Amino acid sequence: MTFKHTFAAFLIAASGIAFGADAPAKKDAAAEPPGQGTKYSEEGADTCLACHGEDAKVLAIFKTKHANRADKRTPFAGLQCEACHGPGAKHADAGGDAAAINSQKANSWVPVAERNKMCLGCHQGGARMGWHGSAHDANQLACASCHKVHAAHDPVLAKKTQADACFACHRQQRADFQKPSSHPVRFGKLACSDCHSVHGSNAKAMLAKPTVNQTCHTCHADKRGPFLWEHAPVAEDCTLCHSAHGAPRPALLTKSPPLLCQSCHTHVHPSVPRTGAALPANGGAGAVFVVAGSCTNCHSQVHGSNHPSGVKLMR
Amino acid sequence: MKTAKPLILFGAVSVLPLAALAQQPEMPDLSKWQCNLCKFETGASGSIEAGAGNVSRDSAKFGDYTGLNEKGGYFIGEAATRYRGADGLYWNVRASDIGLDSRSAALEGGRQGSYRLFLDSDAIPRYYGDTARTPFLGSGSTGLALPAGFPAPTTGLMPLAATLQPAELEAKRNRIGVGGSWMPQASAWQFDLSYRRDNRDGTKRTSGAFFVNAAQLVEPLNSATDQIEASASYASGRLQARFAYYVSRFRNDVASLAWRNPFVVPAFAAATTGQLGAAPDNDFHQLSASVGYQFTPDTRASADIAWGRMTQDDAYLASTLNGTLGAPALSRGSLDGRAKTLNANVRVNSRITDALRVNASYAHDERDNQSSRALYPWVTTDMFLAVPRTNNPYGFEQDRLKLAADYRFSSALRASAGVDQDWRKYTYQQFTKTDESAVWAKGSWRAMEKLDLSLKLAGSERRNSGAQVVDTIVPPENPLVRPYHLANRSRETVALRADFAATDAIQLGLGFDSSRDRYRDTSIGLTGGRDYSLNGDVSAALTEQTSLHAFATHQEIKSQQAGSQAFGNPDWGAETHDRIDVWGLGLKHAFVKDKFDVGADYVYVRARGATSVDAGVGDPPFPEQSTTRQGLKLYFTYRVDAQWSVNGGYWHERYRSASWALDGVAPSTVPNLLAFGEQAPQYRVNVFRLSAKYSF
Repeated sequence: MTFKHTFAAFLIAASGIAFGADAPAKKDAAAEPPGQGTKYSEEGADTCLACHGEDAKVLAIFKTKHANRADKRTPFAGLQCEACHGPGAKHADAGGDAAAINSQKANSWVPVAERNKMCLGCHQGGARMGWHGSAHDANQLACASCHKVHAAHDPVLAKKTQADACFACHRQQRADFQKPSSHPVRFGKLACSDCHSVHGSNAKAMLAKPTVNQTCHTCHADKRGPFLWEHAPVAEDCTLCHSAHGAPRPALLTKSPPLLCQSCHTHVHPSVPRTGAALPANGGAGAVFVVAGSCTNCHSQVHGSNHPSGVKLMR
Repeated sequence: MKTAKPLILFGAVSVLPLAALAQQPEMPDLSKWQCNLCKFETGASGSIEAGAGNVSRDSAKFGDYTGLNEKGGYFIGEAATRYRGADGLYWNVRASDIGLDSRSAALEGGRQGSYRLFLDSDAIPRYYGDTARTPFLGSGSTGLALPAGFPAPTTGLMPLAATLQPAELEAKRNRIGVGGSWMPQASAWQFDLSYRRDNRDGTKRTSGAFFVNAAQLVEPLNSATDQIEASASYASGRLQARFAYYVSRFRNDVASLAWRNPFVVPAFAAATTGQLGAAPDNDFHQLSASVGYQFTPDTRASADIAWGRMTQDDAYLASTLNGTLGAPALSRGSLDGRAKTLNANVRVNSRITDALRVNASYAHDERDNQSSRALYPWVTTDMFLAVPRTNNPYGFEQDRLKLAADYRFSSALRASAGVDQDWRKYTYQQFTKTDESAVWAKGSWRAMEKLDLSLKLAGSERRNSGAQVVDTIVPPENPLVRPYHLANRSRETVALRADFAATDAIQLGLGFDSSRDRYRDTSIGLTGGRDYSLNGDVSAALTEQTSLHAFATHQEIKSQQAGSQAFGNPDWGAETHDRIDVWGLGLKHAFVKDKFDVGADYVYVRARGATSVDAGVGDPPFPEQSTTRQGLKLYFTYRVDAQWSVNGGYWHERYRSASWALDGVAPSTVPNLLAFGEQAPQYRVNVFRLSAKYSF
């Protein structure tokens, strides 16, 4: 099936779904809708903790920055629990009715955008400036999808544990970082946010820097140049040859040389097909082009050379 | 974790609660909110952990990044302390892996809401291999000599048996960061300053050649990268802004690596020493500004602009160390390398109605390479003078326009669609322009109360133009070749996802992703590519005390390419086929709640790569390349009392790999390649650890 056929089928299917999708909701329309009300509790956190005061997970909030009353910007310097969970009088009066409070949990009845407003009301600058319209916003991620606001140490803020939160959705990347050659995310030496601006950016793949190469150069500044003899794809985009998250072969290469290099280089010896006959066990004719570093046995300066005689990236 | 709620809630949300939320709550009398039950933290608290571990055997591969490369015991040291004082004063101190080369530490403190200071360090050990051997003397220095008996015409005639010695290929990146933030009282401004230094010391693998004779070499590493970022941020009401200055400075104490030629070619007997240029010192400065503005509650715009300047002006090395060639003088002593970068974008997103949201963005990225361009006399691998060549300072421009709309048909169905346009310009390349148009659509459907489905389809077409002959590329490439980043390309992608909450405690997920590239106008080069993956997840809270998580991913990546030995139409083809399987299983169980916890994590990774080259002759095929890694971690925590706990663990990891590029290639196997003789890594390592933790 061609892409056009698949696309057309998708549109037809989506149309059908659109017409039928409201039916289940209508069936339950008679039930009482959830709603929070506009009245705050009588005693603020004391009202909440009268019921939730034995829950260690709830009480851990007092180990966090949100519970620092000396900082007048924080919830506990103001509306306390209800700064993030909204007015709680109805919830308290109803004996803890979940449909009367913004729990900030994944199963909350409150729309994600409304839940996020509670956070973005304070956290509106810095990295969050690009949140609206970002990929995470468009995919209905709540702040609490990644952040454990009540935890004494939010795992997503620590290098060793951050990726687990990301892998909940980014499953291919979870597999990539297990591949034989990968950036050291599984060793806790690199966080996803070292390369990605997770709250949104207009760069490709929400990168932390405006371009792929500027991001890579924060750790690999030796590849930056400008070099006297540049290798065009290197100067343009590291991912033309490297799989940034992980690959089955060394140096995160997308393909093993010499075939990777022969994708573009076609003159003289790169034009020669290198088969298994080049392996030492099969005679080894032309083995220097295939084994050990393959093309880089001679062209070791593939990222660029500043040597006056480095035009072939051999010096 | 995803838990479904009854559709009653979603149906009702769409009509009533938004209105309720929009109402202004009545502000309470905060003087009555005493927070008597609030257990605010004060004073110092934390934990210190100490113990011992043991590694069963030496393995560079296992020690890569972990620091567990050597057999024997090691010290386990962890510490985390915190202090909360009056008026928002706070300090956090953390140290990890103190007894290993992978240790890290961080100190953070300040007065919350007023200022923040931090100091941190991290060590990243790299062990590139432990089977390399070399006859060169002075590995780790910038000059590699040879023992008696060298040079020789071929590796088989070199006295390797008596001269080979282990080549140490390891490096360490030591990173230190320091900085702070200042938030003036009652101000919408925040000022940040940070500094980071990365020192990289050790060695790595490289190689050097004299025409067709090559040798693998140990290259020394001794460099430092300094990065400073200063910024001022503003956030108040509808307006947010940030102004920043960033500088990155790379300094390399290694300018070059010289090595004696282990090969002798009688016609070029004077080519005795070669010299590789190391990465040159370089700087990058960037000034940036970002602004976000909320025009209405439903419409927002943001924009970024960054001006950068890359410079590199290291003095050139000599064009050859072969004094007999009479190499002409260079016209310049350094490149005066300069590249300006410009990155700018603007984005507007608006909620037109409760159901319809639109998003538009435009971005421009530019690398304007203004480095000097000159004719350089050059020497081919220190052996003979070659025809002078002119350097190509490559420049790029990219403009991207994205338009997208998201429509909520009902509480159970959303759809979004968009178009992307990507225009690029190149200098000194086969084509001066590429234009790529993409269209995509995505639907998300709550098909049943506990079943979510999503499907995304995308397609794109890239066309190149402005074909040109770059006469400074000598010898010229086959005119039929189309480098894959410039070639005309059709790309189709499909992503399908299903999430099912079997119960509140058990979630299942399945995903399928596929991408296909076609290069219909390419006869030489990459002609096609296909990538698909399947993944599944299970997450279950089996009992209140037992939880389980499992995942599996299968991925296949295929590509086809063609070449021409006759420098004309294709006369050979190749296909690569990677298959990767990753499985994982995690189990946690509380034998005695809050007293005795145990857990296990297992991961299985298998990567296989097939390479076939069809040259029209009956050549033998390449063997499959493969890597299999199995890791099992068992761990427990026993809390003796409120202060003391005992932690223990066992880690078994087995690694097997096969590579036709390495296996069976000894230093003397290839007559014109003095190789390290490295073999594909294998290991089986057991690690035991036991520690005591004191909390206060």
